[in-house]
Amino acid sequence: MSAFFDVAHYDGQSAVKRKVEVQVVGQQFYLAENERRSGPFAFADVEYVTRQGEADVYGLNGRDGWRLTLSGPVPAELTALLPAPRKYGGWVDRLGLGKAAIAFTLTSAVAIAVVLLSPQWLAPLIPDSVDDRLGDALVGDFGGRFCHTPAGDAALDKLVASLDDAPQDLRVEVANIDILNAVALPGGNVILFDGLLKQAGSPDEVAGVLAHEIGHVREKHVMQALLRQMGLAVVLGGVDGNSGAMVNNMLAMSYSRSAEAEADAYSMKVLGNANISPIGTASFFDRLSALDGSAGDSKDNMGIAGYLSSHPLSASRKDAFEKSIVKGKNYKPALTPTEWTELKTMCAQDRKVKSGFGFDFY
Amino acid sequence: MSDEHLPHHSAFRFHGRWQEFARIAISNLLLTIVTLGIYRFWATTREREYLWGKTDFIDERLEWTGRGMELFIGFIMVFLFVGLPLIVIQLVTQGLIFQGAPVLAGLLMFSMFLLLFYLTGVAYFRALRYRLSRTYWRGIRGGSDNPGFQYGLSYMGKTVLGWLPIFLMVPWTMISLWNQRWNAMSFGPHRFSANAQWTPLMKRYLLFYLVPFIVFVGAGTIVVSMPLSGDAPEPFGGTGALYFGGLVIVTVVAFYIIAPLIALIFYSKYFRLAVGGLRLHTLEFEFRARAVDWILFFLANMVIIICTFGIGYIFMPYRNWKFFIDHMEAYGEINIDELTQSQTVVEKHGEGLLDAFDVGAI
Repeated sequence: MSAFFDVAHYDGQSAVKRKVEVQVVGQQFYLAENERRSGPFAFADVEYVTRQGEADVYGLNGRDGWRLTLSGPVPAELTALLPAPRKYGGWVDRLGLGKAAIAFTLTSAVAIAVVLLSPQWLAPLIPDSVDDRLGDALVGDFGGRFCHTPAGDAALDKLVASLDDAPQDLRVEVANIDILNAVALPGGNVILFDGLLKQAGSPDEVAGVLAHEIGHVREKHVMQALLRQMGLAVVLGGVDGNSGAMVNNMLAMSYSRSAEAEADAYSMKVLGNANISPIGTASFFDRLSALDGSAGDSKDNMGIAGYLSSHPLSASRKDAFEKSIVKGKNYKPALTPTEWTELKTMCAQDRKVKSGFGFDFY
Repeated sequence: MSDEHLPHHSAFRFHGRWQEFARIAISNLLLTIVTLGIYRFWATTREREYLWGKTDFIDERLEWTGRGMELFIGFIMVFLFVGLPLIVIQLVTQGLIFQGAPVLAGLLMFSMFLLLFYLTGVAYFRALRYRLSRTYWRGIRGGSDNPGFQYGLSYMGKTVLGWLPIFLMVPWTMISLWNQRWNAMSFGPHRFSANAQWTPLMKRYLLFYLVPFIVFVGAGTIVVSMPLSGDAPEPFGGTGALYFGGLVIVTVVAFYIIAPLIALIFYSKYFRLAVGGLRLHTLEFEFRARAVDWILFFLANMVIIICTFGIGYIFMPYRNWKFFIDHMEAYGEINIDELTQSQTVVEKHGEGLLDAFDVGAI
């Protein structure tokens, strides 16, 4: 038995401070105070508690408030038996601050990359039934604001059929709300707002916007955006409040832009296949950007509905549509003049439809 | 060694150095950034370990034994049981608005608000309970057996009662909740008793309460007196502009300088009364900071943050704790032999971690 120097001790039962001597016996030790001796205690049960000034404080597993305070130089034999001090926390102490910082940076980068990139692979794996149910829950009958007339419905169906090979998967509706917008939502839901129809100068313009939204549906952008948003919310959940939301929005926005570009490309391809001239869409974007150059920024106020709304405003996108015109090609109008009038006035003709006013959209 | 007579200097003394704290705070900031915020629970723990360890009560240092993991698990639980349901409810609400059921959506949002209101109260209570249960002095800790669910209801009720008479009873709400919280807490074998009075707070509250009216009346007087003051010569015809400018300055000064000042004057009195009504067995407490101290403290904080372009923010925990300890005082005597271990529930690692509600996130 070898005796060590004096240490301060609290037994955790009372607040009385004791000066005790540590007596080590193998993997155990006793605490001796005058005639009293307590123990044995196992070194395996000793826990590092904290550093107080120049002293290290140790506790004992299972003994609330039991403390040994070791100040001054501690003999190496004793140090070897005691648990290592804790500075930054378990992992960082094991690796060292520098290495841990690098490891954490890499892990964080990988986590963000996975969250940003995996929705592209994951979205197609989500069963259609989930997508449909989500769409139904979100859209339903839109509070009775979808416009229907027999002739208008027929015109819309014709337009959709000319742009898509499997129109039965899609649910395209016109909503009686006077805003210049269109959205793609889960479950193949595409909503054209009446304001957009009223502003459009020709059915070709509507065809271009509709093809853009169908592009979002076909490229699974909606589910991708949802997954990405949820992933970012989890990964950035540890970052507090505003900065997290800001990073989240920036990342989401950059992806929403690339999705817009993909949807544009889809739209041009589909218009070409359907023999509809893209010039209408180009001039429509032109007018849109002249009308409200900032419309593109307001989308994040609209939650998921606004997430993939179509605001193709930039001049370069207008140019792209203009460039996709094939000279000498014999384009035909997307709808006949009668059909176009029926579609344009569908909401005005529908007596049963609810008005868009009071619809708390923004 | 039985009775510890309190020394002539304050019973509470802080001898931390900001340079030491800076080393902790800066490495914390680095690790928090590279872990996307997750390290902040361990960061808080390290800061508290330092601040507690540098604080003397009478003749022995305080000890913080909370763990980063506890706070992290608490955060995860809040995220799973509060955060995620809120996101779902928000989605459902959006869907309901889409489907034209605004009443149902409103009800859902209202119940969500009630739940958050309730949990805020519970969180205040549990944060105090958690902190006391992790604070040791001479191997003895504090705590409470009360889970705080009842307190959550009181918090809602008393807050609403304080608002009802046009917000005039807010001081009663604050003091009464403080008393209720502390009366449920204990340290060692002794229960705290909190008997702060709220009526002495009313004078300063009325001052704060009436500022907007005084400013409004003052501004009104200037406007009314403007055309009436015949003695003002108008060599440049600029008196009107002068008055208007004066009005703007008065308003800005009132809202950005006078209102916060009066809020501090009120709060300093509140805190003095609240701490002054606190007893622990034979100990009485006092908080000696006057309004001037609080104002200088906040001005210095602002200067630090502005001059360091915001980096100084990481020193605020240090500044807050130093301000708190420097102005705390205790009177009476403690019988060390009587001060035995707290028998309140202690949550071991991984158990009852709801105590770690101490996240400040809600």
